[in-house]
Amino acid sequence: MVAVHSEYFAGVRLRSIAGIWFRHALVLKHTWLPSITWYFVEPFVALMAIGLGIGALVDDVDGLQYAQFVTPGIIAGSAMFHAIFECSWGAFFRIQKGMYETTMTAPVSTRELAMGDISWAMSRAVITGFCIGTVAAILGWIDTISGVGVLLAAALIGMQFGALGLIFAALSPNVHILSLTFTVVATPLYFFSGAFFPISVLPDWIEPIAWAAPLTPSVHLARGFVTGDLVMSHLFSALYVLALTAVLFPIAAALLHRRLVK
Amino acid sequence: MATDDANRYGKASTKVTSVSGRGEESVIHASSIAKRFGDVLAVDGVSFEVRRGETYGLLGPNGAGKTTTMRMVSGLSPLTAGELTVAGIDVSRNGREVRNVLGVVTQQDGLDTDLNSRDNLITYGFIAGLSRAQAEQRADAVLMYFDLTDKAKEEIDNLSGGMKRRLAIARAFMTKPQVIVLDEPTTGLDPQGRNGVWQELETMKQAGVTILMSTHYMDEAAALCDRLAIMHHGKILTEGTPDQLVVRHAGSEVAQVRVSNGARQDVMDWIGRAGFDYREAGAIITVSAHNGARPDLSGLEGVRVTYRQSNLEDVFLSMAGRKLTDE
Repeated sequence: MVAVHSEYFAGVRLRSIAGIWFRHALVLKHTWLPSITWYFVEPFVALMAIGLGIGALVDDVDGLQYAQFVTPGIIAGSAMFHAIFECSWGAFFRIQKGMYETTMTAPVSTRELAMGDISWAMSRAVITGFCIGTVAAILGWIDTISGVGVLLAAALIGMQFGALGLIFAALSPNVHILSLTFTVVATPLYFFSGAFFPISVLPDWIEPIAWAAPLTPSVHLARGFVTGDLVMSHLFSALYVLALTAVLFPIAAALLHRRLVK
Repeated sequence: MATDDANRYGKASTKVTSVSGRGEESVIHASSIAKRFGDVLAVDGVSFEVRRGETYGLLGPNGAGKTTTMRMVSGLSPLTAGELTVAGIDVSRNGREVRNVLGVVTQQDGLDTDLNSRDNLITYGFIAGLSRAQAEQRADAVLMYFDLTDKAKEEIDNLSGGMKRRLAIARAFMTKPQVIVLDEPTTGLDPQGRNGVWQELETMKQAGVTILMSTHYMDEAAALCDRLAIMHHGKILTEGTPDQLVVRHAGSEVAQVRVSNGARQDVMDWIGRAGFDYREAGAIITVSAHNGARPDLSGLEGVRVTYRQSNLEDVFLSMAGRKLTDE
């Protein structure tokens, strides 16, 4: 596993990845004001409405106050949406506008393109997690230590959904198909990830499906940090996400290569 | 070479007039390169050499295989067959390495619309391997060099087509490449934008940069290229300096005959009997002589004949036309 891994990443030019990351960071620096709505306002509204609103109607869930229960879920969901948006919608337009092609006129490979975008997807996921987490911490819904753990989960989510997003970007012939990434993939995953209610309340036959859905283990992991009660299932969750990324990433890189190198 | 490179892209005022080895060393060497897309042979065994410091053009209509050839040279499209080296680097073995010595301008400007002009240059420079500080310094120098300084903070969407093109060329210049590969530098530009791009290319030529460019504009090829290859259906039909090609294939002058529909067939028969080449375009029949001389149409009566200097358009039409009739 290690040998395969190191061989696969041999010959990766780090500057390519750093350069792409820098490009994305520069865009954020220039567009930070409208971007706040994305990174912060929207998930904050969701957190408030659900945490306070539904929280008022619901008793403790799994030993947590509902707002505490839902905080890691909202962070995980926002991390997913950021990562998948960057790598599907964003990447699709970078393909369409010839921006990837330009990047490749520098000595950049398609694999490095994918890595660069995914590295930014991870950053976005962590940034949005940090924004929401800070507010939640102020409200007493999450403590600092758990917050760091949740950000770790957010980074994993960013990696996994970045790779998934790139697959959609590379496959979609047009924006109509591309939008399925959200309607068919991201949104259903979000609602059945256990972000808003424990998976155990679902009918028995849906439960395994919900568990296999890519966001669920990450939500479970993030919540593990919040409850502070980390058990083997959390480790498995992290491994599941890593394994899924290990499968998705080569597919994403290959599809991107097929789309860009003819 | 180190000093040469250091000098080459100095300030706009210090024009480098002599580049060592110019005209001798071949920088791009393509030998029977081919590219197949499914059933289509887009490039069908093309061979050419680009020497250091020269501007070499691939001239041909859309679909001739120019872009594919350029992409192969840039290491962006794997070869189906043939051998290709750029600055001594085997492209089929190390396509990425090639892009360290090349500046590539693809047909689509590919500018980053989320960033302003200067940041486009900086991010490209950084991705290509410059340090942040180097990239910033170089971006300012390049903007000044190409007279784009006042557009430094401009958003890409606010630039004209010509400006975008110039910025894309400036971007390829960020890394001080030995060779610039330019795919159709002025396609889709208005005359003013075209002029700006031509000036920019002239500046680079003056600096001794080797340029490989493609175009389907005959006047552009004539104005900018030291040598050129005429491509059609994935093959090179002929190669030489613009003047050589014109004299060799179209003669010094061509005659243009304006005919009415009724007289058309008679006139064409007459020209054919006289042993001249001709082709029709609307009401005009253009006539050229094989031997490069001015075709003598004094025996042709009842039509208006005017003479003009031959150009690359005549070369292409005569060559492609002849090939088509052969089929």
